[in-house]
Amino acid sequence: MAINVLAVILFAIISQTIHHPTVQLILNILIMASLGLGLFFFFATSVGVLRFPDFFTRLHAAGKGDTLSTILILLACSLFSLKSAKTLDQTTILAAIKILLIINFIFIGSPTATHALIEAGYNSEIDPWENNATRN
Amino acid sequence: MLLGIETLLLILVLILAVVSLWIRDLMSSVVVFGAYSFLMCLIWTGMGAVDVAFTEAAVGAGVSTVFFVAVLFNTTRRIQFNPLDLSAKIFSAILCIGTGYLLMLGLSDLPSWGDPQALVNTNVSKYYIESAYKQTKVPNLVTAVLADYRAFDTMFETCVVFIAVLGIFMLLKKDGREPLKETSAKANDNLIIRVASRFMVPFIQLFGLYVVAHGHYSPGGGFQGGVILGASLILVAMAFNIEFVKQLLSIKRMLLLAVIGVIIFAGWGLVPVFLGQSFLDYSAWAALLPGTGEIMARSHSMLAVEIGVAITVMCGMYGIYMSLVSDGRFDKGL
Amino acid sequence: MILKFNYVIMIILMMLGLWAMIAKKNIIKKLIGMAIFQTGIILFYISMGAKSGSNIPILDYYDRYKPIDAAQYANPLTQILMLTAIVVGVATLGLGLTLARKIYDDYKTFNEDEILQEIKNEHD
Repeated sequence: MAINVLAVILFAIISQTIHHPTVQLILNILIMASLGLGLFFFFATSVGVLRFPDFFTRLHAAGKGDTLSTILILLACSLFSLKSAKTLDQTTILAAIKILLIINFIFIGSPTATHALIEAGYNSEIDPWENNATRN
Repeated sequence: MLLGIETLLLILVLILAVVSLWIRDLMSSVVVFGAYSFLMCLIWTGMGAVDVAFTEAAVGAGVSTVFFVAVLFNTTRRIQFNPLDLSAKIFSAILCIGTGYLLMLGLSDLPSWGDPQALVNTNVSKYYIESAYKQTKVPNLVTAVLADYRAFDTMFETCVVFIAVLGIFMLLKKDGREPLKETSAKANDNLIIRVASRFMVPFIQLFGLYVVAHGHYSPGGGFQGGVILGASLILVAMAFNIEFVKQLLSIKRMLLLAVIGVIIFAGWGLVPVFLGQSFLDYSAWAALLPGTGEIMARSHSMLAVEIGVAITVMCGMYGIYMSLVSDGRFDKGL
Repeated sequence: MILKFNYVIMIILMMLGLWAMIAKKNIIKKLIGMAIFQTGIILFYISMGAKSGSNIPILDYYDRYKPIDAAQYANPLTQILMLTAIVVGVATLGLGLTLARKIYDDYKTFNEDEILQEIKNEHD
């Protein structure tokens, strides 16, 4: 919750100084960095889902990477909607804050869904993978 | 051609459709079908149909997957494969390819993709785009046409949802004389899921109400908001047990509310008849609503009608889920 | 052909759904085929109403009092028809699933051949 308040204050500061070239540069770098990191984590997630050996390890990759990368990409979207507006008014800032609320929702919902899937797998007694190569 | 990415998405959608029919496990097939619906939703956003994309994301990908899972959970997910009936499949494949070839022949008469001067984009739809805001003060043209210009259509679509719920309810209803299983009414003992859903459900319902009320200015409206409200009730039924959600909205009250939703829509349209106008002509409401002209009366009437739609659709989705998951007994959930 | 790529995909999707409804033996697979057929029809309508380079059909705050050019906004009419069709589609899908459930209760299978066999056995 505190992060949200901080983000809204940050948005207010940005909206005061949006047309300054330094602020534009910083915003550009932030957007590119978070978008690139988000895409990288998404790629890592899909590699993990394809390459890990069993149900639990695959969901480990899916749950963690998916949440983080979605949050990073949505943050980039939120900043981009602030940056690309011609005139900053209430509707633009409101759109950016709405994307922040979606981030909150995913932050709660996605790990819970992963937990529910793992629990269902555990209850239906799926055997976890064991590394037989090192044991022998 | 609108966007390069849409061509790619259409090919992906085709692959997912084939995969969803190919897999020999019903649960996986249903999950792949949910992914197919999400990709369809992306395509519709690309084509500028945001309201349809919203509906597809809520209904096609969300609720219909839940319905499939609710049926498969209590029955079976296995498919018996019989290699002997391949001849019937080949015969029907030839039949379908023949029909598809005949349809392809008619392709030359269709307008090219994204042509603004095509016949479908010029006549009545041009009139709607140019005059809807002047006549109703609703910037979302989809809501304006849905709830005002084509309200007769929407009213009967709402009735179809209500009749479908009624049909499902009557087909699955047991007469209550069967003994209930003792072990069935078991509460979900998973603390994390219960706490998280208890935290999320109020926000989902608030968002559903926002979607209903803000449908004039943003994508949304009665159908989408109703589905979101129904989905929040389904989430409660999944995270807790079915007894708990029955205390919130009992089955009898659900049917009553579904009727009330249809009555709000039809009654709101019937009032202008008594005022000397035609059925569903909202501008007559200006005489009854204080301080509104004919234009604002139409705008406010759309909100009333959307509320009726939302109530019926909410009760519809909730009732269908409850009937399917408990086989008409309303005693146990997933 | 490439200008009408959307219609080609639409026809293929519809025929896939039709083939599934005829050829598949499992009732749930038949219902999935029905839903695929339905999305094919929705794709037909929506792609017919799409205009290249157009906006979504919601008037911007600054454009509301200007004269409106119809080519700038996507066609709202086809979208309405399909919006209601999706919601009604899920209601009818629920009805189909209910009938499948009733059949499963009576015959303990989703397979069409076994159901026909059981019906034949009952009559003999």
